Amino acid sequence: MEFFLQQFLNALALGGTYALLGLGLAVVFSVLGLINFAHGELMTLTGYGIFYALLFGVPYPLALIIGVVLATGAAILMERVAFRPVRNSSGTTMLLTSFAVSTILHILFQNLISARPKAIAVPNSLTGAVAIADMQIGVIQLLSILVTAVSLLALTLFLRRSLLGIAMRAAAEDFNVARLMGVNANLVISTAFGISGVLAGIAGILWLFQRGSVDPLMGFLPVLKAFIAVVLGGLGSLSGAVIGGFILGFIEVGLRAYLPDGVLAYRDAISLTLVILVLFFWPQGIVARREAVR
Amino acid sequence: MMKVTKILSVAATMLAVAPIAAQAEDTIKIGFVGAFTGALAPYDQPTLQGVQLAVDQINKAGGIDGKFKIELITRDMRSETAQSAVMTQEVIDQQVNVLLSPCDVDPSVAAGQIAQAAQIPTIAPCASTPTLPGIVGDYMFANYTADNLQATALAYFAQKQGYKNALILLSRDTPYTEKLPLYFAKAFENKGGKIAGTVEFKMGQQDFSAEVTKIKGISPAPDVIMTAAYEPDFPAFIKQLRSAGIKTPVLGSDGIDSPTTLGLGEVAEGVVFSNAGYPSEGSSLAKFNADFKAFFKQDPSAVYTATGYDVIKVIEAAIKADGDKLDGPSIRDAIDNLENVQVATGTITYKGMNRVPLRVVALNRIVNGQKTHVEDIVPNGADVPPAE
Repeated sequence: MEFFLQQFLNALALGGTYALLGLGLAVVFSVLGLINFAHGELMTLTGYGIFYALLFGVPYPLALIIGVVLATGAAILMERVAFRPVRNSSGTTMLLTSFAVSTILHILFQNLISARPKAIAVPNSLTGAVAIADMQIGVIQLLSILVTAVSLLALTLFLRRSLLGIAMRAAAEDFNVARLMGVNANLVISTAFGISGVLAGIAGILWLFQRGSVDPLMGFLPVLKAFIAVVLGGLGSLSGAVIGGFILGFIEVGLRAYLPDGVLAYRDAISLTLVILVLFFWPQGIVARREAVR
Repeated sequence: MMKVTKILSVAATMLAVAPIAAQAEDTIKIGFVGAFTGALAPYDQPTLQGVQLAVDQINKAGGIDGKFKIELITRDMRSETAQSAVMTQEVIDQQVNVLLSPCDVDPSVAAGQIAQAAQIPTIAPCASTPTLPGIVGDYMFANYTADNLQATALAYFAQKQGYKNALILLSRDTPYTEKLPLYFAKAFENKGGKIAGTVEFKMGQQDFSAEVTKIKGISPAPDVIMTAAYEPDFPAFIKQLRSAGIKTPVLGSDGIDSPTTLGLGEVAEGVVFSNAGYPSEGSSLAKFNADFKAFFKQDPSAVYTATGYDVIKVIEAAIKADGDKLDGPSIRDAIDNLENVQVATGTITYKGMNRVPLRVVALNRIVNGQKTHVEDIVPNGADVPPAE
């Protein structure tokens, strides 16, 4: 029981990070029909932002904020420069554009900053653990759970209460009808990218706390996981992305904890098989979008 | 701008074409097919810097043996194995005398097989899988500290500390992360130690809580944990290990020789790891670091700069030894017979080693966030587990 509870908390922490990342992808997909594979590079940018801010002697909390602001700005800029010109092209064009943006950023990081990882010191207070009953839960994991909860709450409030949020939900439902109702397309799309930038920044910080360094290719794996989470939850659905993220977290931690040693090497194959199985029963993902494909 | 570029490129072409006929006898061409972008760039970019420094020093001093200026031809294989073969063909078409291959075993095999057929000696500056030369053939040489050599040095250390039970943490994702701990296990058992357990991880997993919980449950508790995990896995692992209250000493390999490890703070205190050399005062590595800083106006970012430098020194020594012959078979035989060549990281010996060199392994301990020297070890060949 204790082992189970411990692993449950672990899964919650990991799933939370995936949920934040998946949500970032889903926000953009819901209005633009694009999976932005350059999303991971926004995490990397957060890391470099923090690294350089600390280098210039900026206090730690402020450096974290600079990192998130940088990712947000970069996301909005990315939309302006790369995606707006191809907005009305086919989905494939936009997808390829996102790969191009991602590759260009990789190469720029590698050649202008460094191919080697840059160390980001993590405060010692964050490396400890809190004892809850007989369990040990790391401060970073606890922080992940907390930050995920707060971010989800804030985003929900924004989407339900603010005018822009309602416009975004309308656009996610049916972009053309929303525009006919006077919703400003550019503003909605920019906001979606901005939000995805904030979420990437926050997830980036949580990721950095675990690894203690930033390197040019850091964003690649997380964005892949986020993509799986989004597909699992149902493309285009925001709550689906969150649910998908948590399910992926639970599958991964569960397999690591309970698979016998001999088959551990296959756990990625097993976890992806489980994902396929879910999609077999819910082809549109767990939270299916109720409308037909545009 | 356009015009200037054009003129420059025409001039460059002329420069490139003109001297070939005149200098053919006085130039040795070294091709470096490396990963200057992509996933392997963190290793090949520093290696290239070391190579460039050595080439510059040798050329300024009048060339190898005062005769042969080095012409370096580099090609980026973008960390893709298929590109490695394509680029190798391209540099071989330019008639290189010696080839340097990328920093990992797979692309090095791809490059090596083509060079082997063309009888061009190939050295892998930092691929550390000891089976590499055997897979490719008699023209392929390793340069970097081989995994089994490093593991043996760590096993010596573990035994000397009086550790009885060791736990190894490995990942089957790469030969390095899998085989190095297994070599350690073999060498440690040969010295009378016991392996208390093996725990597996997946590279890139951010979360080690499940593994740490497993380690906690192993009985008898291990005296030491050995792993070849590196960034970003190692930092995540050690943080979660220590925050679970496990104080067991940890041994690592050269993959964690990075500022990140030193920046981890308390959790990394006391970690001992092996690498290709420690720059103690007055050592050749300290001199290399100073030269490097003077040349590039920055500190070396990794020890791969020094091992990159070493490769060129090995080639220099081989050509001196074979009486200035530049054909493939002569250089090959000469490298194969080199003994105690002075290089940046210490000395290097190929004679009798089946093209996987014997070199020093340095052990380092992290104390107050600084790398400190424990000792230098040249393992006894008989203790080194066979490459597999």
